[in-house]
Amino acid sequence: MNLSRWKSMLALLFALALFTAACSGDEVVDAAGDAADAAGDAAEDVVDDVTDDDAMEEDDDAMEDDDAMEDDDAMEDGAMEDTGVVTITGPERDESEAGALQTALSAFGEANGIDITYTGSADWEAEINVALEGGTEPDISIFPQPGKLADFARDGRLLEVPADTAASVSANWDAGSWGFGTVDGTQFGIPNKTDLKSLVWYQPARFEALGYEIPESWDELLALTDQAIADGNTPWCVGIESGQATGWPFTDWVEDVMLRTAGPEAYDQWVAGDLDFADPQVVGVFEAVKELWDRPGAVYADSGSISATAFQANGQPLVDGDCLMHRQASFFSAFMPEGTPVADGSEGAVDVFYFPANGDSRPILVAGTLVGAFHDRPEVWAVMEYLGGPEFANARQAAQKEAKGGDGSLSGFLTAVKGADLSLYEPLAQSMMEIMANAEVARFDGSDLMPADVGAGTFWSEGTSFVNGDVTALEAAEAIDASWP
Amino acid sequence: MSTPSTGSRGLGARLYRGLSSVPMWAFALVWLLPSLGLFVNSFRTRDGQRGSGFWRTVPDQFTIENYQTVFEANTVNSLGVSLLNSLAISIPATIIPISIAAFAAYGFAWIDFKGRKWLFIITVSILAIPLQVALIPLLKMYVGGAHLTLPFIGKTLTFIPAWGINGTSTAVWLTHTGFAMPFAIFLLHNYISSLPKDIFESARIDGADHFTIFWRLVLPLSIPVLAAFAIFQFLWTWNDFLIALTMIGSANPDALPTTVAIANLAGDFGRNEHLLPAGAFVQAFVPLVVFFALQRYFVRGLLAGSIKG
Repeated sequence: MNLSRWKSMLALLFALALFTAACSGDEVVDAAGDAADAAGDAAEDVVDDVTDDDAMEEDDDAMEDDDAMEDDDAMEDGAMEDTGVVTITGPERDESEAGALQTALSAFGEANGIDITYTGSADWEAEINVALEGGTEPDISIFPQPGKLADFARDGRLLEVPADTAASVSANWDAGSWGFGTVDGTQFGIPNKTDLKSLVWYQPARFEALGYEIPESWDELLALTDQAIADGNTPWCVGIESGQATGWPFTDWVEDVMLRTAGPEAYDQWVAGDLDFADPQVVGVFEAVKELWDRPGAVYADSGSISATAFQANGQPLVDGDCLMHRQASFFSAFMPEGTPVADGSEGAVDVFYFPANGDSRPILVAGTLVGAFHDRPEVWAVMEYLGGPEFANARQAAQKEAKGGDGSLSGFLTAVKGADLSLYEPLAQSMMEIMANAEVARFDGSDLMPADVGAGTFWSEGTSFVNGDVTALEAAEAIDASWP
Repeated sequence: MSTPSTGSRGLGARLYRGLSSVPMWAFALVWLLPSLGLFVNSFRTRDGQRGSGFWRTVPDQFTIENYQTVFEANTVNSLGVSLLNSLAISIPATIIPISIAAFAAYGFAWIDFKGRKWLFIITVSILAIPLQVALIPLLKMYVGGAHLTLPFIGKTLTFIPAWGINGTSTAVWLTHTGFAMPFAIFLLHNYISSLPKDIFESARIDGADHFTIFWRLVLPLSIPVLAAFAIFQFLWTWNDFLIALTMIGSANPDALPTTVAIANLAGDFGRNEHLLPAGAFVQAFVPLVVFFALQRYFVRGLLAGSIKG
């Protein structure tokens, strides 16, 4: 055999190696048949060997991976073996939040013989994509946006909630909340946590001293704004800076006002893309928000301008008395200066009132998390069912309150689940849950439902330009429409 | 040379040195200012950091609470364990590529074999491939191995077994090792090939084989460039975020290095952003130690291979 033939054979082998490397992974997961199984078994043996040899602290990790591989095998065979292990990922990663979540899960896991691990990550959105590509996706993921859940559902990545699970969990939620997990008529997600956005933070003692009443309607809110200005008080604190997400508090305002002036039907069309941003109804809302903020003396912005003021920086001026009101979601309690009393009747205490609306429907804007499953195993669905029930909410609330300092501390956790134990919550949280219970119309934060290019892109950026006065409402709206995929 | 002239030249030189150091100090100060601000802020409370700029701090407001918080053992965010993880990634990812690349560079420089030039060109041109494009395929390979099912006969060949090493530090340093190789070989080759030919010839005459030459001559002579590359590689792997996040991610939070742990410190909606300056200085401490320990090699090594003579 001459040299050039050797060379070409080598080249062929090299090309073959590259090719197999490129289409690796898929083979093991997708390909059925004895051959693939045999390969999988062999691979497991190798993993075992590696584990034995290298032991040390990686022992446990390798074992877990081992389990994960068995999952894959189980899926190939079409069987649903109970592995007793469930992994969950999500975006919540604060010590108190993630810790309370894990505590609540462990309690359920120990009672049912399931080893449940929750991992929170700041880069959950990117990571879940990588994990799906790499075949390392968790059993369950916690979605902060129904839009992302819907994307995965339409791509066929997420599993439909089985009818029996859906039947038992849906009884825990009102139709509106349950509907957040429905994609094209099929249930893929289970609601898990609720944040209330239609709230105004204020200090009851200051309102009393100034003789102001809590506004009961949108018109009264506007009247209060004017009266406060006339009295020489700054009514609002507004800041919409939030790093790369600058502008989202503005979108919340727009959504809340949209729900009040245009109504829920128009809101749904708008969120679905059937009603343009350039429609007079939406442009009108843009202008109404800006008109309110632009009234001379209406807004205190800590850093000079609304778009330069961090949304987190609005707690201090509210407590200091630089402004009277701040419209922000329930989680804003975490941004109040340390030691600020909440809703306890004391001098400097902060409280919330419902961001008012004309008429009796009392619509609310909410956000929250949904859970969706990637693997079909009985214990996965058992955990899914638990995550959508009141027992989970109570266990998490108790643990989270403890982590935040026990009695008298706001946990930051809120839920609209039926059967939640209200006695676990502080008065302020109870009043928020009462607002949720009284609302006839609840809509999810629209920017979380729109395509990411808009809801996490131009709606923020064009909204910021509009707030800055760089573009008119119509120009901003048309630019947003143009970016709708 | 007479004394007065020396004196006047000395004065001028001293004046020149003194004056020329003024802009240097000014530049250094401007460049240091952000780090200084970060350092000051790392000792301030959340409300302090949110309320005013670092230049408005008064020393009696300082607290080490932030540092205590980032080190507290807890469910997700403790930096103590993640520092060990970072070391478990950075040390192998520094030593292994250097060892392999030193052998390869010697081979490319001083062993005459067929196709040496082309092989070297291929190796160096791999430098142009961005590592990002290879991350997902690599992850798939770590999880599932590399297999080929032959058509018709249905036999599956396994080229790389399914190690399932995603979620371990091994996956991270293995990736770093691979991607460091082209640059390591390139840098070391330039240095090693510039060593004077005479010493190789005299060693050969004394009966030394390639291994002896490499071990007894090349390695000791290459210490500056090895140290310089070690600094580069250590800093790069220590500060790496992307590869660690991809290869470990949420699969195993106990194995995450400091960079990812710090990113998670900020918390939901950035409510714990005040911990980031403290976290950043914990993260920066180790590279600073490494840099100052090896810095005398740094400049020498940077010049490696740049002047052939």
